[in-house]
Amino acid sequence: MAFADLGIDVGSVSTNIVLIDKNNELLDKIYIRTKGQPIQALQQGLVEIYQRNRDVEIRSVGTTGSARYLAGVIAGSDAVKNEITAHAVAALEEVPGTQTVIEIGGQDSKIIILRDNTVADFAMNTVCAAGTGSFLDQQAARLNLPIEEFGALALKAKNPVRIAGRCSVFAESDMIHKQQMGHNLADIVAGLCEALVRNYLSNVGKGKEILAPVVFQGGVAANKGMREALSKALNTDIVVPKYFDVMGAIGAALLARDAVKQRGTRTNFRGFSFCSTEFNVKSFECTSCANRCEVVELKTLAAVLARWGDRCGKWSEMPVDGLCKQAQKQTQQTG
Amino acid sequence: MPLKVGIPRALFFYYYYPLWKRFFENLGAQIVVSPPTNKSIIDAGIKCAVDEACLPVKVYYGHVTALKNKVDLMFLPRLVSLERKTYICPKFMGLPDMIRSNVKDLPTVIDTTFDLSKNSSSIYRPAREVGHFLESRDRIIDQAWDDAEEFQKEFEDRLYKGHLPCDVLDSLEKGKELPVTCNMKRMCVAVVGHAYNLYDTHISMDLIRHLKNMGVKVITPDIIPTAVSDAYANRLPKRMFWTMGKRLLGSVLHYIDEGKVDGILYVEAFGCGPDSMIEDLSARYVRRDRKIPFQVLTLDEHSGTAGVMTRLEAFVDMISWRGVS
Repeated sequence: MAFADLGIDVGSVSTNIVLIDKNNELLDKIYIRTKGQPIQALQQGLVEIYQRNRDVEIRSVGTTGSARYLAGVIAGSDAVKNEITAHAVAALEEVPGTQTVIEIGGQDSKIIILRDNTVADFAMNTVCAAGTGSFLDQQAARLNLPIEEFGALALKAKNPVRIAGRCSVFAESDMIHKQQMGHNLADIVAGLCEALVRNYLSNVGKGKEILAPVVFQGGVAANKGMREALSKALNTDIVVPKYFDVMGAIGAALLARDAVKQRGTRTNFRGFSFCSTEFNVKSFECTSCANRCEVVELKTLAAVLARWGDRCGKWSEMPVDGLCKQAQKQTQQTG
Repeated sequence: MPLKVGIPRALFFYYYYPLWKRFFENLGAQIVVSPPTNKSIIDAGIKCAVDEACLPVKVYYGHVTALKNKVDLMFLPRLVSLERKTYICPKFMGLPDMIRSNVKDLPTVIDTTFDLSKNSSSIYRPAREVGHFLESRDRIIDQAWDDAEEFQKEFEDRLYKGHLPCDVLDSLEKGKELPVTCNMKRMCVAVVGHAYNLYDTHISMDLIRHLKNMGVKVITPDIIPTAVSDAYANRLPKRMFWTMGKRLLGSVLHYIDEGKVDGILYVEAFGCGPDSMIEDLSARYVRRDRKIPFQVLTLDEHSGTAGVMTRLEAFVDMISWRGVS
């Protein structure tokens, strides 16, 4: 039986799961759309991973992404880490000596500046998510263009048009104007890529010293048009790692392995049998004070697993049902 | 029955509450402070504030709304300038007018102008104007003011000993003991931002508590004596003419010079005019020698804490990765 570390990245747009072996070789990976249902996406992904890797024993589990706490509770995570750390760890592993990581995901974009193999600085988009993957998705859909073909079409452009990239609402109206003027689709699509890169560099990358090697990862790195536009704007080669779309998950797996090693205990993983458990999420407004927090309660048929969302800790610190721990033990034994 | 004077728990409350409380009480008034910011206060504020205002100003509207039916007098001073040739944000200067035109059924408003920008201006003039709402004798008002200033000084002295304003104000209001300041060797992060953002746990998403829970020692510009931050701000090539900006930038320069903090977290409200300059200047000075990790956190009406938590965690991770635990 082979041992492996499981990395889970549940983001706003995609849910990615990886299995890596002790030499950090990727054994398997899954990239599926979250579709607004993180629990179902996670379960579906884990079932697929299990079916393809029945002989693997999970040694540790790490979760990252905006649903990292939710995923952590459901899977029984050993390390719940933010996306910056996870992406930085993975980039350093895949491309030794990396000095800059550019990550553009579904709803956020980040830049990580690495020096001497440690994070020296980072930034994420602030209150605005303009120019991230979901905007590209949306525009591709509006142009009736499968997102997979978007990048290839951009590369065919001869004269990319200038599009306002400051705000996705302005960008969209600008694109429509250019269309109505008669510019061809390839030029508009390439123009959009350039606009997004311009916006990224002046917003997220503002004031950062971007040195090579520059690693481009995250779902948007699949887009050849975006790679080209970045390379042109930075006047340097862009390295896209082999598993660019699941780098967060790889980082989570690496971090989880370290966490388990450091702790010196067994993994908290609930086992794959938990994939068939029905999880229910209920949310309610707490009426104890004027804050009216929206509390989320995660439960199985048998027990409440966790609560969160309150400011004061009344719900999140309340002990969850004893049944839950029992159920957890059982699944650990059987799973 | 003493007259009830309402003080909104927002903006300058976090700087001058002890002064105002003591002054009004010396004149025989009863102080009513609005409750800590909550969802309904924010909602009420957003509903009646002008769209372009920053979040803390919107929150101020909410606090005025929460108080208006409970008091006889509403203290909404117009703070123009608190020191020579140095000014407060323009939105503060227009605050009483903005409130008047957007909040209906206000009680009597004390909207005295505090403008000490000129050499000759004296604090007693506006203080008497405020005092006249409660007391006719100037001598009594002057005494009440002097005593209140003493009290304010005691408050500031406690800050300079290392206590955060949130803790000192809390002990003042509830008569609680001050928590012991911690001198243990652990990660120390300077959280730089306006007091009305940092210590309003709703606006700041309780980030100071979150940082403390991660094992971080938090310090803020409020515990640096003004003389120190002023001296650093004076090193700038051009005179900084915003009181708050001078304080924040001077503190950042002090942290850089001293080299004792492990990271600087700059907290700004989205759309803050002065901070758009101060934050950028701070970032440039910090990055000049790259020794201290620096991160900007922008706050707005978001109620989901995920974004803030991700940035805080990543920031703390980055510092520990560099070898500080």
